Amino acid sequence: MRWSAMGAGARLAARNLRHRPGQALLLLVTLTIATGVLGVAMSLYGSADAAWDRVWRATGGFDVGVGVYHGPDQPGDRALVAELRRRAVQLARAPGVAEVSGPSNSLSGSIRIRGGTEDLSAEVVDPNTADTPLVTSGRWLGDGGGIVLESGLAAAVGASPGDTVTIQGRPFPVRGVAMTAAGRYPLYRPAQIWVTPQTAAAMRDLGMREDGFALAIRLVDPNQAEAFIATHQEFEVSDPSSSVTSFLETAQQRRAASHSDLDGMTDTLFAAGILIAILTVATASVLVAGRMAARIRQVGTLKAVGVTPRQVALVLLVEHLAIAVVATTIGLGIGRLLAPAIAGTSVSLLGRPEPPPLTWSRIGAVAAVAFAVVLLGTVRPALRGIRQSTLRSLDAGPRPPRRPGRLAGLAARAGVPVPGVLGLRSAWRRPGRLLTNATGLALGVAVIVVALGLRESLDLLQLRPTEPGQATADAAVAALYDQIRGIIFATGGLLLLLAAINAWIVATLAARDAARNQAVMRAVGATPRQTVTSLVVSQLVACAIAVVAGIPLGLGLWSVIDGGDLPPVRVPATSLVLLAAAVPIAFAALVSVPARLLARRPIAPLLTYE
Amino acid sequence: MSYVIEARGLVRRYPADGSPIRAVDGVDLVVEAGEAVSVMGPSGCGKSTLLHLLGGLERPDEGELRLGGVRVDGLSETRWAVFRRRNVGFVFQAFHLVDELTAVENVELPALLVGMGRREARHRALELLERLGVAERAGHLPDHLSGGERQRVAVARALVNEPLIVLADEPTGNLDSRATGEILRLFGELHKAGQAVLVVTHDARVASTADRLFTMRDGAIVGQTRLGADTPVAGLFADLADLGSER
Amino acid sequence: MRDVILSLLAKEPAHGYELRQRLMRALGPAGGELNPGQVYVTLSRLERAGLVEASEVAQPSYPDKKVYDLTAAGRERVTRWLADVTWSKVAPLEFHLKLFAAADTGLADPVALVDAQRLELLRELRQLQELALREPPDSDGALLLEGASLRLQADVRWLEACQQHFLERESR
Repeated sequence: MRWSAMGAGARLAARNLRHRPGQALLLLVTLTIATGVLGVAMSLYGSADAAWDRVWRATGGFDVGVGVYHGPDQPGDRALVAELRRRAVQLARAPGVAEVSGPSNSLSGSIRIRGGTEDLSAEVVDPNTADTPLVTSGRWLGDGGGIVLESGLAAAVGASPGDTVTIQGRPFPVRGVAMTAAGRYPLYRPAQIWVTPQTAAAMRDLGMREDGFALAIRLVDPNQAEAFIATHQEFEVSDPSSSVTSFLETAQQRRAASHSDLDGMTDTLFAAGILIAILTVATASVLVAGRMAARIRQVGTLKAVGVTPRQVALVLLVEHLAIAVVATTIGLGIGRLLAPAIAGTSVSLLGRPEPPPLTWSRIGAVAAVAFAVVLLGTVRPALRGIRQSTLRSLDAGPRPPRRPGRLAGLAARAGVPVPGVLGLRSAWRRPGRLLTNATGLALGVAVIVVALGLRESLDLLQLRPTEPGQATADAAVAALYDQIRGIIFATGGLLLLLAAINAWIVATLAARDAARNQAVMRAVGATPRQTVTSLVVSQLVACAIAVVAGIPLGLGLWSVIDGGDLPPVRVPATSLVLLAAAVPIAFAALVSVPARLLARRPIAPLLTYE
Repeated sequence: MSYVIEARGLVRRYPADGSPIRAVDGVDLVVEAGEAVSVMGPSGCGKSTLLHLLGGLERPDEGELRLGGVRVDGLSETRWAVFRRRNVGFVFQAFHLVDELTAVENVELPALLVGMGRREARHRALELLERLGVAERAGHLPDHLSGGERQRVAVARALVNEPLIVLADEPTGNLDSRATGEILRLFGELHKAGQAVLVVTHDARVASTADRLFTMRDGAIVGQTRLGADTPVAGLFADLADLGSER
Repeated sequence: MRDVILSLLAKEPAHGYELRQRLMRALGPAGGELNPGQVYVTLSRLERAGLVEASEVAQPSYPDKKVYDLTAAGRERVTRWLADVTWSKVAPLEFHLKLFAAADTGLADPVALVDAQRLELLRELRQLQELALREPPDSDGALLLEGASLRLQADVRWLEACQQHFLERESR
């Protein structure tokens, strides 16, 4: 390919972009919605890490954490726990260990929160130990009694230093509030407090019981943490008959596990971003098909100038890849901007959220999706456009039908009025466009089905009777699911918006294609309303396919999402029936607007040219 | 007696840089029942616009128009459409058949729009196609028909509701000589059957089939003549006697 | 006319009446303008020129009829005539000069002359049209009528160009 020709092609591309900026802009906007959602996901992922790291460093920076817990006294348990305690002491002297803090015992009991009680774990610490949790207000344990609350618990109870909280029915003064790298209430349970041995004795008298101990180990070489755990597998006990659990975990594992709400949000956003990207492929291919149709006439002229159709296709591709680059940049920027706000709603943050630095892999992931959308959405229509241009450069209409449609014939015999029959016929003229339109709409319908299921299950969750000691926790979990539900509905709304945009564009393009035929019909005596009807009917075919395919698709998606923490739930049949009725109505209303706008065009100019 | 077409002072303007152009500039025209009328003129004289005005495809900016005695120049789009389907048949230079419909479906379309029963409409359409000599192409799509066949289907479509007037815009413009001859024959037969026809054309062969001929220039009618068949023209082939006598 | 009659004899000998029939068939409606005696006059001229020869054929209860046949010279002449591509005069010289005479002398208005001539041609076209309606579409006669109409159509177009020319001249 000669560069001079490429230069001519590039100038042509630039001129075209300026000449019809609307379509390029629309493609940019829809693509940016996808990259924006993905960008938020990218910036959300790990945005709690910086705050966690700070707390971790301030509290001694353990490399391996050890924990042993057991339920209310069972004869066999006590021996096991004693054995584990012995092993823990040995662990402390194992090779590779630099420093150990603990073992510190813990007691379990209950604390009064908002009219209900919540499970409580009190860690007994010597006030003089060096490694303490990070005190955020008040003081650490010391002379004068008092307990220190974990910061999440303090927020849930609404207590600050100087207040009292009720534990085991007795008031205890709050001395301070602290953060721990173990996690934050209510995501990290049971609720955590720190007490002096004296206070612990008093609590034991009140009925709190010993329930285990914990150990924090710092290694000589922090990178050996996982190897260390692997070497000491014998410490991990899982005996279903006993109530004893023991575990070892690295700092990384703790960090990863302590922000499950953010993880949930990130996963949801990522999935939504992919779905939106798929829908954008449909939109992109419709837009490109429209632009190609406009260009096909040019290609004949271009050939005379010496530019080959392949060069035109290449220029088109380059244009769209440029749009993809811009969309990626904007999307990542949006992510950077929005992620802190979204992360700020998380209950598990140990400080301010900080989006992690954008690595090339993160940028690459978003860019890859954008490029994939452009390639998939551009290549097929562009190739088809090129092939068409070689066949008929000047006569740029859709391929005329080869056989008269059978479905429409049936409809005619069934007594469907003329505009309806005509609409059915023209629906099958462009099977490719019908399919992409139907796919886009089906995705929208599927998302609505998933949202319906989600709403059902969340409602059920609300109705479940709260177990004693779980009140606030359940509320917190519900709040968490509210967040995720919010995200799902928001992205579902975006998907619907995109599907609507798609439907609008397709309807507009279809109306333009049908312009001559409709002018002929009006010349022969069809009213403008009849031509609108025929156009809407032709679009409704795609909608019908979408509803028929989208509802099972949505149910399938729902069964994949369902499970896990949410109670198993079926999407109620009545909702589905309502959906199946509402979608075509809404679609018809939407699509009738461009149809009506274009139906009022003057007839004469459309009939002057062939 | 009401005229089939009665136009008084029709004006149609188009916006242009500066003052608007008058495509049709004050045209008066009447067509009686059963009459064949031609409008001739050079390209750009406004004859096509005049035809559009007469059929309601465009609205006059000034003037009055009556078809079959009914005042139509102020009708809404919808009312015009309803009026047109029963009373006006169009034949276009580019044929303008609906691509997705077969020949017979194209012809029966106006009948169905008028509310004729499906069976009756189909029957009438096939009858017309038979009369026009394209019955065996009834089930074909326009794409598979020749130019002459398409135009004959278009004429059949124009006739299916027995309209007041058939308006034809350069009906032979896209046809070769043979097909033109066929259309001319067709129009001749229509005239004999008493169908009122108005043809806009710059083909003298087509124009000469009319009873009355209007000449247009620059949006106005500049001449009107009768082309009656009363006085036979002698000596069409007078050269016959001279055949070979030059040598 | 001479070459036409010669060619009609090229297939087989015939007598005058048969020749006339063949000619009338080929001419269709134009045959009406044919002088009835034209054929026989031409035949005798051709005989004198040595291009055809006549022979008498006896008929029972009818007078002898003359049957004509081509001579070798006649046959050669037919071959030459068929291959000849001379076309009848193309340029409308007379009318063109008439227009300019009118313009120069001021004796008549060229635009009016064109209008009148155009009207006349349109009338002739109409006549041809009516004749054509009476002929079956694919007949030989219809073909001739089509040729005549197309020429008249061309002439009308030229007349319109003449009108345009003189109108522009006037406006200058």
